[in-house]
Amino acid sequence: MRSIAVIAVTGKGGTGKTIFASMLILHLCRKGSLLAVDADPDSNLPEALGVEEVEKTLGDVKEVFQHTRDEIRGDKSIWFEAKVFEVINELEDFDLLVMGRPEGEGCYCYTNNLLRGILRKFMKHYDFVVVDCEAGLEHFSRKTIDKADCVVVVSDTSKKGLKTAERISELMENLGINARKAIVGNKITDAKAEEMIENFASRAGFEFLGALPYDNMVVENEMAGKSVRDLPECEFKRNFKEVLKKFESWCLS
Amino acid sequence: MVERKKLEIPEGVKVKVSQGEECDFPVDISPMHEGERIRKGDMYVELAGPKQPGFELVMALPEDQVEDMKVTLVGKDLDELEEGKAHPFAMIYYVAGDKIDSDLEPIIERRNHDFQNYIEGVMHLNQRYDIWIRIGKNAVEKGLKSLITIAKAVMLLFKNEMPFIEKIEAVYITDRDFVEKTLKEVAMPIFEERDARVEALHDEDVEEFYSCTLCQSFAPPDVCIITPDRPSLCGAITWFDGRAAARVDPEGPNKPVPKGEILDPIGGEYSGVNEFAKTESGGVTERIKLHSFLECPHPSCGCFEVIGFYMPEVDGIGWVHRGFPEPAPNGLTFSTMAGQTGGGKQVVGFLGIGMSYFRSKKFIQADGGWYRVVWMPKELKQKVINYIPEDMRDKIATEEDAKSMEELIEFLKRVDHPVVKGVVRPVDGKKITEGWAEEEEEEEEKVEAETEEVQEAQPPLQPQMPQMTIPMPVPFQQMPQIPFTMQSGPKIKLILKNATINIDKIIIKKKDEERKENNRTE
Repeated sequence: MRSIAVIAVTGKGGTGKTIFASMLILHLCRKGSLLAVDADPDSNLPEALGVEEVEKTLGDVKEVFQHTRDEIRGDKSIWFEAKVFEVINELEDFDLLVMGRPEGEGCYCYTNNLLRGILRKFMKHYDFVVVDCEAGLEHFSRKTIDKADCVVVVSDTSKKGLKTAERISELMENLGINARKAIVGNKITDAKAEEMIENFASRAGFEFLGALPYDNMVVENEMAGKSVRDLPECEFKRNFKEVLKKFESWCLS
Repeated sequence: MVERKKLEIPEGVKVKVSQGEECDFPVDISPMHEGERIRKGDMYVELAGPKQPGFELVMALPEDQVEDMKVTLVGKDLDELEEGKAHPFAMIYYVAGDKIDSDLEPIIERRNHDFQNYIEGVMHLNQRYDIWIRIGKNAVEKGLKSLITIAKAVMLLFKNEMPFIEKIEAVYITDRDFVEKTLKEVAMPIFEERDARVEALHDEDVEEFYSCTLCQSFAPPDVCIITPDRPSLCGAITWFDGRAAARVDPEGPNKPVPKGEILDPIGGEYSGVNEFAKTESGGVTERIKLHSFLECPHPSCGCFEVIGFYMPEVDGIGWVHRGFPEPAPNGLTFSTMAGQTGGGKQVVGFLGIGMSYFRSKKFIQADGGWYRVVWMPKELKQKVINYIPEDMRDKIATEEDAKSMEELIEFLKRVDHPVVKGVVRPVDGKKITEGWAEEEEEEEEKVEAETEEVQEAQPPLQPQMPQMTIPMPVPFQQMPQIPFTMQSGPKIKLILKNATINIDKIIIKKKDEERKENNRTE
């Protein structure tokens, strides 16, 4: 039996959580089998990972199921499971699942209940599952993904960034997500800012994984629509290695 | 019924046969492997799937025809198939046992999916003619060389987990022509026969129904009862789905509900359902009539696709679906009615249903079925038009015929809808409503007694007068607004009183008594 780690990366939009998540994915997939989950409709995880086109998302399959389930012959859960397997993108070094569009009108209880069982069965076969999710932790609150081992919040030094971290912490408690939580600073320009996040972390019960700098190389790479695979050696990358070390000793120990 | 007989193996095709339980399994077999994805890069071969024909089929045969634990492989074996490619594939199982008949075939067949997935390095997806199998390089490296080994493992699992299977025999096919021929001539007719049987199954044909308590997360007392003639109100779960779910996870949200004694065959009331509902709802729901609208209706969770509403002005029932944004002739929108009806309660006068309940032969049969239906949005009517009896198709109004109550009354009179002269319910030929002539008088009497409500009860009839005499566009636009504004909120309570005076009184008395009793005991 594999010991899997489900790692959720979250934070306020614009803090760079998708860059962090994709760098983490590219690193961890060398250590074992990995499923990357894009659970933030506003993010661009596939792009950041260098995936040009995602044809279909889980959201599409859910809609098809929601509207044609009446006509499906035989066992619906088996049909649904096959469709979920079909929308998983097999990449060279990891698999990618894009959650995609939000639910439409109507009752998704049955659909989500089936999905939960399918994803639970399926995810346990990976060494790592990395979920890039928005700050509302939607798929965790719906319990379509019903477990997380670590939650990593990416925050800049803005008041909003830390406020979001606080809110995520509360949300985890309300939802009964029994996961360890850590925070990493991003776009940090000076030692004072780093200290501020570190202080927040110890106050709010987060593990502090370190600070990543504001780096023009990252911005340019992103603006050119390039994958983080193409990110040249830079300050951000050097610091990321330090953060990664801390992350591994914290999360994978 | 399609005749079940063993396949005739064609001559001149490579055939391999093996019989007996003894077999070495080089790979691990356990439920732990369920959900394992075999990635393209790790795949040795793909069988059936999107690119190649294939199917799986279970056939029930007489005991003397099934050779237990025999496997016949028609075509190339695993170690002869070209690596990295997709190949045609079919799996046929003959089963026999005292308790086995063709009704059980799909239930047994469903488990092939589970058992194949128990095998390490084997991925099985989908069902029937959509199956998709991948065999991993890891399994082949460990020594899995023959499809016969897979068949043997699955057959042993079948016998272990479904002990009523006394004998089982398998035919696996990789020969393209034979896969295609057997799919067309044997498998498809059986699948079609099964689907036809599903359509023809009724409440009285089964021993138990299934419950669904998925919605209790937001509607705590809710209990959905799923029967062959009544799918769940979210539209998602049929009786067959409920049965499959209950077998896979007996502690899950779908549990078997023994029917018990039938108390009302027309309304669809069963002692077993009542007992179950009482326990599961924490006493909130004591009686359910599955096919009744006005008496002990099925509780509504809030997930329903369509809501039905009783309109006392016409003594008829209207239906509106979730996607229809405008108010129905009773002045209320779907969301307003859904808000009042949800939460897992029984609300007399409203009923949430799944779209497929319109197909049911028992569709609100206690209240006259389609002959009591007076209004539905055009979009909804189009969707279910084939299930409406032909003589009713032109008599059910849509928003194009009637947007308000007075327009509806006019329409129903014009088409001579059964509610006008009284509805005879088809199920037993009993006349269940009196029609309008008497009812209007009755209503007026009541209205006189309840002075406050006089104004609300009269507008549907009165505005027609000025409309006739003043042929100006302005009053026309204003008039229909009157009933709309008046009908919001309090109108509903009036409707319920008129419709179900006796029941309302019973409920109120009960509560009072309970309160009094509570007071006394305190």
